[in-house]
Amino acid sequence: MNRRERSTGFGFVAPLLVLMVVAFNAPIAYMLGLAFWDKGRGFTLEHYQGLVEAPVYLRVLGNTMRIALIATLANVIIGYPLAHWMRGLQSRARLIAIALVVLPFWVSILVRTYAWIVVLGNGGLVNRALQWSGLTDQPVQFLYNELGVTIGMANVLLPFLVLPLFAAMIRIDDRLLQAAASLGAPPRTIFWKVYFPLTLPALAAGTLLVFILCLGFYITPAILGGGRVPMISNLLDTLINQIPRWEQASAISTILLVVSLLIFAAYRRLDRQASL
Amino acid sequence: MKRRTFVGAAAASLPAFSFLAAGGARAQSKEIRMIEAGGLSGDSIQVGYIDPLKAKTGINVVRESPSSLGKLRALVESGQTSATMFELGSGVVLQAKKLGLIEPVDWAAVNPAAMFPEAKAEYGFGYQYFSTIMAWRAGAKEPKNFTEFFDTKAFPGKRCLPDYPHYCLPFALQATGVPIDKLFPLDVDTAFKKLDEIKKEVAVWWKAGAQPPQLMKDNEVQYSICWSGRVVGDPAFGLNFAGGKADLSFFGIVKGSKPEDKAAAYKLMHEMSLPENQAKAAAVISYTGPSPDLDALLPKDKLWQYPTSKQNKAVQYFENAEWWAENGEAVNKKWEAFKLNL
Repeated sequence: MNRRERSTGFGFVAPLLVLMVVAFNAPIAYMLGLAFWDKGRGFTLEHYQGLVEAPVYLRVLGNTMRIALIATLANVIIGYPLAHWMRGLQSRARLIAIALVVLPFWVSILVRTYAWIVVLGNGGLVNRALQWSGLTDQPVQFLYNELGVTIGMANVLLPFLVLPLFAAMIRIDDRLLQAAASLGAPPRTIFWKVYFPLTLPALAAGTLLVFILCLGFYITPAILGGGRVPMISNLLDTLINQIPRWEQASAISTILLVVSLLIFAAYRRLDRQASL
Repeated sequence: MKRRTFVGAAAASLPAFSFLAAGGARAQSKEIRMIEAGGLSGDSIQVGYIDPLKAKTGINVVRESPSSLGKLRALVESGQTSATMFELGSGVVLQAKKLGLIEPVDWAAVNPAAMFPEAKAEYGFGYQYFSTIMAWRAGAKEPKNFTEFFDTKAFPGKRCLPDYPHYCLPFALQATGVPIDKLFPLDVDTAFKKLDEIKKEVAVWWKAGAQPPQLMKDNEVQYSICWSGRVVGDPAFGLNFAGGKADLSFFGIVKGSKPEDKAAAYKLMHEMSLPENQAKAAAVISYTGPSPDLDALLPKDKLWQYPTSKQNKAVQYFENAEWWAENGEAVNKKWEAFKLNL
């Protein structure tokens, strides 16, 4: 593309860019700026000072990171074997498997989250089955704790890990594995020395993507956490809608944004390696 | 070429924006907008007040929900006051006044029928009394007061409590033996200590008023502190107004509203002050309006369900909005810290 074409192209996207800047970026910049500027008083760091002095909000942020990490790990433990299993399927079965993984994307996240109440509640399917089979006499408390939030989040985010992982696995040339086998490597060695390293960049990229998405989760902790699992987006809801201390919310959001961007930068590096 | 296309495109998109702004400004006082809490309460406003107003004057009021303080702040700060009336909790009226988000009510223009004095506030029209009370799944052992409600040994079962300190703390304090007329100034630390004792038995801290009745029906929890209108008259629940909190919801006038819109809003407020309209609203949701003459118009067999009927008003405490306006934010931080240790 020469310079002239490029500038005409820019002309075509300009209205969209203006819309993006005006309707999307400017409000975000304004919200982030709120933490630094006080009406009539100018620049201030008082809202960040408030965070340091009353560290409860930062502890909620830490709690959010911890839960995001747990949910991400759960995703990896379920997602990796699933993607690997899908790779080995016949093409028709593989198509069905992909459809099953993608299917939840078409169901509203709210519906999916409430569905877990039907499945895991005290009077839900799982608990009734457990009690009927005599494994437990009391209902097991799956919901309204971190376990429930982790299950819900893992369910919603699984496709984000499985799809890129599956795409990377399917690109692995079978002949590489055959070559390793013909040189006398046992299956375990083939997996760890050949197969796993080839999937590692996609795994890392998918993991980071899921982790970043976990950080901003709102609906699932609100419904399945029963108010017992404080996460940052629920805290921001209180600060924005109820109190309303937008300046404080803005300071917390800025920290969250910086953390997310740092993780995203790491994601981009790994992603570039994965696509090489 | 490059610059010209860019500028041309930007200029072309500008008229679109000014068109949008003009569309928003062309509001007429034949129709105003209100932002209210939603749900059955919103339906009761429609049936009780908006429909009669429309029949009398032809003025229509369009409802929107929900009504959070953050939304009001955004509305006023953006200068786009599309809504004239905004529903606010009693404490929120004071917060909104402090933040300069609402205007004083012109009571001469409202010209209301007789009203309870607390409902005739400088910055708000108190239109709906509601109670926050204890309730339980039918068949559970029935507590008579909050000491018993918080006694999880004598009254075993999971609890569902509000995820709001201004709902939870005064009840916890009652459980330590403080009578309802001595609750304020609130002894926050003692109340938190009591909550610490039973937090293991609290399965869910609710954010939405629809949660506790559903959780009790599903047998996820057996006892709740919840809004009276959500549980009265349903045989699935038992309930007790003893020690409950009576509170008042207000309508405020959004700052910067146009005079012709305000005039229409005051007409609606006048309709809200009429006991016959309040009786219609109470038939939709069992919350009551601010007229002292209302009880006579309500069905006798249902009087026990209403927040303001004599036997219920006597056993409840009234929300201390001033105290919460002063201390709310500090208590909220303690609340977040408490929730981290659940």
